[in-house]
Amino acid sequence: MDGKSADDPMTSRMNWPIVLWLSGFLEQPEREAVLGDLTEDSKNRGGAIADVLGLVVRRRTAVLLDLRLWLTIAFVILPVSYLLCAIAQTTAGVGAVYSWMYLNNWNWALTRNAGFWHLLGEIAVSFGITCFVLACWSWSAGFLIGRLPNVIVRASRNMFIVLLVAAFQLDDAPGHIIRFLISLHGLPLGPSLPDYNAPVTGNVFYRVFFPWIALAILVILPAFSGIRQANRSLLLAWKMRIVLVTAAASSLLIMLIHAPGFGLLLGAPQRDWLGRNRNAMQVLLLLSCWPMFYFIALRFGRRGRPKAVMAQ
Amino acid sequence: MYYIVIKMIGEFEYLILSSAARLGTNAYGASIRSEIEKATGRRCSIGALYTTLDRLEVKGFVKTWMGEPTAERGGRSKRLVQVTATGVKEASHFFRAIARISKGVSWTANRLTTR
Repeated sequence: MDGKSADDPMTSRMNWPIVLWLSGFLEQPEREAVLGDLTEDSKNRGGAIADVLGLVVRRRTAVLLDLRLWLTIAFVILPVSYLLCAIAQTTAGVGAVYSWMYLNNWNWALTRNAGFWHLLGEIAVSFGITCFVLACWSWSAGFLIGRLPNVIVRASRNMFIVLLVAAFQLDDAPGHIIRFLISLHGLPLGPSLPDYNAPVTGNVFYRVFFPWIALAILVILPAFSGIRQANRSLLLAWKMRIVLVTAAASSLLIMLIHAPGFGLLLGAPQRDWLGRNRNAMQVLLLLSCWPMFYFIALRFGRRGRPKAVMAQ
Repeated sequence: MYYIVIKMIGEFEYLILSSAARLGTNAYGASIRSEIEKATGRRCSIGALYTTLDRLEVKGFVKTWMGEPTAERGGRSKRLVQVTATGVKEASHFFRAIARISKGVSWTANRLTTR
């Protein structure tokens, strides 16, 4: 673009929406400063697109060259997104079977049977807890990603979502983990079993849509909420922030223990110990629900704060 | 064999430090950019300016913060810049080095290369 057309007010007005859109890729304070500078220097708005684009490219390149980003992806985001996917697929599979059982095969005669209600209640509670714990693990993962250094948090968040979706494309993600662990031990793989859930997977809704709905509700939405809360937690005292990060990291460790095929990583004595201490495992699951306690504490904290402070 | 690593600021960093020092309390993105363009006669890109400002801040040579929003900027804030004591030291070190190495050199007729 030549200097004459760059200074033309009409060209400037036409360029401004593009400048605004491009500046959306910058961090909020920087966006504010850059747009302010360009508004002040309104004569030069023609070159504004190149200016903002240049800054965006520089910022993006700097993030991609940051070793911390790749270390975080390799050691945190990749394993966590894969585990969350594997657990979400298992949960969605169980949910699909129960939904098919009760919704697609509904029989009013069953409602008169006390045993039917008893079993339905048991399944609803157990499946509800499973879903809630998965949502808490996803929230914890989001919280940890949100607590990463500012420079890499956006790229890490995007990579987390991309990896989640990519891993979810894999058919039978938990099966892949288990087969990998079995091969690590040099054990022979057993014969493949017939698909007992063929009537469920034969239904397009349960095979295609149901798992994605489960991924969105139980993993992606809680993870985004976790990232947002991590941002807000910056206002808390540093001791409190350490407690929250420790809780999130512990929650992900507990997720690892409950991941499909985890037992294969352990020796026989440890596996036996885990088998004998199922109650301890249940307590650990309860600890995974720390986001619930966090929100309760946040609610009571707000209520207890004086109005003058709230107004500030 | 020993190598002596000389850590000096770059010329663009020097331009920013000098502009910010000259502008004093009015040093911020647009004003520094305008000073550099006036002094060098060349266009200064916002990308180069802000990324170099970040680098200078990481090195501790400048301190930056967001100011109050102003009407002339469409209600947007300025990123104000202040040169720190370390920044002043580094800039004066750079200036002295350039002055020393330039002593006795005449660039007017490009004599050194044509002789």
